[in-house]
Amino acid sequence: MDMQSEKQPILKVAHVKKSFGRNQVLKDISFDLNAGEVLSIIGPSGSGKSTLLRCITQLETLDSGFVSVNGKDMILAGQTKNGMAKYAQASVLREIRLSTGLVFQNFNLFPHLTVLQNITIAPIRVLGMDRPAARSLGLELLSQMGLENKAKAYPCELSGGQQQRVSIARALALQPKVLFFDEPTSALDPELTGEILKVIKSLAEKKMTMVIVTHEMAFARDVADKVLFMDQGVVVEQGTPEFVFGQSENERLQTFLARFSG
Amino acid sequence: MSDLASLVPILLGGFKTTLAIFGLTLLFSIPLGLLVAVLKMSRFRIVRYPVSFYISVMRGTPLLLQIVAIYFGSYYLGEYSGLDISFDRFPAVIAAFSVNYAAYFAEIFRGGIQSISKGQYEAAYMLGLTKPQTFFRIILPQVVKRVLPASANEVITLVKDTSLAQVIAVTELFALAKKQQAAYASIYPLFVAGVFYYVANLLLSLLFAYAERKLNYYK
Repeated sequence: MDMQSEKQPILKVAHVKKSFGRNQVLKDISFDLNAGEVLSIIGPSGSGKSTLLRCITQLETLDSGFVSVNGKDMILAGQTKNGMAKYAQASVLREIRLSTGLVFQNFNLFPHLTVLQNITIAPIRVLGMDRPAARSLGLELLSQMGLENKAKAYPCELSGGQQQRVSIARALALQPKVLFFDEPTSALDPELTGEILKVIKSLAEKKMTMVIVTHEMAFARDVADKVLFMDQGVVVEQGTPEFVFGQSENERLQTFLARFSG
Repeated sequence: MSDLASLVPILLGGFKTTLAIFGLTLLFSIPLGLLVAVLKMSRFRIVRYPVSFYISVMRGTPLLLQIVAIYFGSYYLGEYSGLDISFDRFPAVIAAFSVNYAAYFAEIFRGGIQSISKGQYEAAYMLGLTKPQTFFRIILPQVVKRVLPASANEVITLVKDTSLAQVIAVTELFALAKKQQAAYASIYPLFVAGVFYYVANLLLSLLFAYAERKLNYYK
């Protein structure tokens, strides 16, 4: 880890706004994340959590605001084009994209490729890694996920939990600086969520910087250094897990949390 | 039986023409169909609308008419304009079949491409794959599997449609069989021609069934 990333946040999000038509889904969202930290984003459905993640990972374009990842600015600060935020040039955006990984709710594995091919396609095709090196990287990631014997299997032959672990391995293969999770356990049977949470926890222990949108409250509190509570497109409360889950007296947060403990 | 012995070599001559129409049509119409499918999904109306019109004309009028139109139409257009744009008979047949089948293939391919979930594109994008890499390595292989059954239908129909080439006097299998029918004063040659078509399609069906099984390694 270099000096710079120790000093300044690896992920900066400031005043992000986003509308779909007339519906403003993100209203002035700001937060910072330091390298090695884990941020949990919680909030009711439709609060804008996933849209926020999709804006930071460039799957959606934001309307205004500022984002920087690993010291690279995604948005050109202070510049606008037709009233909208102006994005950095394509090569910078691509560099940023390669330094961020995203784990989808529905895995989105490539069904026609084997588990190993799913993991090695990006290192080979995007980073230009040679096949033997990519292969050993893939096998190492699979053994980290406890799936070393599934390298030759196809995604359809795996359980949901196993598929999600493969998709985590696939995201890790590009050695991202920040890894994003969009409700990684929501498509899984309850008995399979544990194995995913365990993997994420072990990544947290290895000081992987992560942003996790989740409905698993106990997990959000457990794994996170920072928790962000969103409702109706605004950050209602943010702080340490102890503060958000224990001390905060914010009414909307209380109402939201009561639904989970009840 | 001596009839059959002399008939089969004659009909085989026509069957060669049938196979040529079949093979060349597939060779041109499949890539053209893929291109048309991609154009029909264009963001730009100015691209999409003419392509939709082309498809609707190809599907809305008889292939028979299209063959005649391309052969005689190009001839008269050439006469009037003084340009050398007229087709010979065989190339006219290939041109008509190719543009007609491309329209049908295009709709099959478009359906296949649009059935692939947005998540596949997003996953590829997040991994840094370029647009061509995403299309050729992620999307197209999955599309091939999905469009195979519907494409098999088209390919089998094409074998039988080749008989339409006789309308501008290209002597393929069916035209030859009809000539023999007159010579023998019997419908027997037509029956033998029918067996030719049937056996060709039987082999194609087996081939497609094999391909589908091969692609069944994933869901």
